[in-house]
Amino acid sequence: MNLEARRVSGVRSDGDSFEALFIAEYSRVVRIANRVLADPNEAEDVAQEVFVDFHRLHSASAQYAPAWLHRAAAHTALNRLRGSRRRQKREIAQAVEESERTMDPQKQVEVDEDRRRVRQALARMAPKPAAVLALRASGLSYAEVAQALGVGIGQVGTLLRRAETTLRKEVTRGTSE
Amino acid sequence: MAHLNDGTLRRMVDDPDARSGADARHLETCADCQSRLDEVSKDAGSIATLLAVPEADVNVARAFQRVSSAPQAQPRFGFRLPLARPGSRPLILGLAATIAALSLLVVGLAEGGIVFAPSTVTPVPITLADMQSLSQLSDYGTITWTKQPNVQIAASPAEAKADSGLTVPTVKQLPRGVSSTVTYVATTQAVAVFTFSAAKAAAAAAGSGKTLPALPAGIVDGSTLTVTVGPAVAEIFGDLKLPSTGAVTGSGTQHTGSGTTASGTTGSGTAGAGAGGAGSSSEIPANLPQLIVGESMAPSATASANVTVAQLEQYLVSIPGMSPGLKAALNAIKNPSTTLPIPVPAGFATSSAVDINGTSGLALGDNTGVGSAVIWVKSGLVYAVAGTIKQTDAVDIARNLK
Repeated sequence: MNLEARRVSGVRSDGDSFEALFIAEYSRVVRIANRVLADPNEAEDVAQEVFVDFHRLHSASAQYAPAWLHRAAAHTALNRLRGSRRRQKREIAQAVEESERTMDPQKQVEVDEDRRRVRQALARMAPKPAAVLALRASGLSYAEVAQALGVGIGQVGTLLRRAETTLRKEVTRGTSE
Repeated sequence: MAHLNDGTLRRMVDDPDARSGADARHLETCADCQSRLDEVSKDAGSIATLLAVPEADVNVARAFQRVSSAPQAQPRFGFRLPLARPGSRPLILGLAATIAALSLLVVGLAEGGIVFAPSTVTPVPITLADMQSLSQLSDYGTITWTKQPNVQIAASPAEAKADSGLTVPTVKQLPRGVSSTVTYVATTQAVAVFTFSAAKAAAAAAGSGKTLPALPAGIVDGSTLTVTVGPAVAEIFGDLKLPSTGAVTGSGTQHTGSGTTASGTTGSGTAGAGAGGAGSSSEIPANLPQLIVGESMAPSATASANVTVAQLEQYLVSIPGMSPGLKAALNAIKNPSTTLPIPVPAGFATSSAVDINGTSGLALGDNTGVGSAVIWVKSGLVYAVAGTIKQTDAVDIARNLK
């Protein structure tokens, strides 16, 4: 059954469970994408793309749904971060947006600079460690991170520790360049 | 007790569940681990600061509205397969059966009027370019899905059965090295209607500088061909990562990877976008399936045109612009009403006939373990076993399916 047909005939079943899934997970999916992109608008864009993709091929009542969404949010956002065209666009957008804020200008410059360096570092990192950082920093539990990445819960600590070391190195590398 | 490793210490920083048991007891008495925990904790704190971002202020209801009203992407000509990562030889073998369904559009057109019910399989050497050229059929008419293929990942064989109506075949014994982790995929029946357009065909012919050959009696503008494929089920063995959005839709953003190696990246997991057509949009290190066992209702085709097989086949291959490989392939099919052509990617695999418990089947690939597939038709169902296994193993699985 295609999506349209689903909408018509499956209003009570799949349509409802998709809405429930959306309500339950949307904020978290945005949060994950935002953690990667540091841009709430683009993060929402990513989240919506992720939900549409999910709905196209999966049943909303599937047990793996939240894990799928979390993982997809992290990876889709990371993919965007790596697209250079989009990065430029975003930096411009961000510059405009942030110039409107009222923070000590000097301090603001520093925050912006740090944030930009972290995004570049994340973009340079391999997808898995970058994703583990984004997922955990977005407030997912160790068990949720494990499910999203398809690894054992015991591995998450190791992955996280390694990813933090890598991020630190990458940020430092970005500073010295 | 040995000292705690970094991973365990990291988890102790912010996972309350980790602060118990033998590890916690060790920590209490070990000054060394305590000082390492301090260090790990400090690092974690500074990384958290680095990763801090302004929080997004979301309006879930409005977002849901937007998603609900988003225009639905129409499936393109063909299937979108979840987990499909183009560019790998075993996978191409595995996809052969699906692609065969597309070939049927051509074969079916060449048959007119009669019901196509394949009972045997035959290899058709074909290049990937030829397969893709099938989409050029839209130059000769319109293709519409009256029932669209709906591919679902099922949580269990029972769910796959519920989705497809087919019982998932059971593998008696997995070859050594093949993971027992299994993913079920089911697809509903799909019906495509090809409506021949004399005007379009003439335009296509004109595009290649030729005129369209005169229509034989029976083929008229608006002649239709209806192809039914599926339902189908497949079980995919391998420690697959959950599919990424990109891998599923093939419509995401293409980017170049960071170049650094991810832990857990398998050698073949980062296969680049290949000739399969469905561009992969992510660099997520996903493991490739090791073994795919699939079962599908044999495809069938009916046409409205009342012409002979020979006439139609002849006419079809006479349309200018059709690739020589495809023409050769069409000509090679001796009895299209009983033969399911399996396109064997030229240069990818060798094919040979095998006996599957009295049914004649087709084995592709070799015994190196790089990739092989077995395909056969029994009681109106098409079966396929494909994977990064030896051909002997594939045949063995095929003979012992339940």
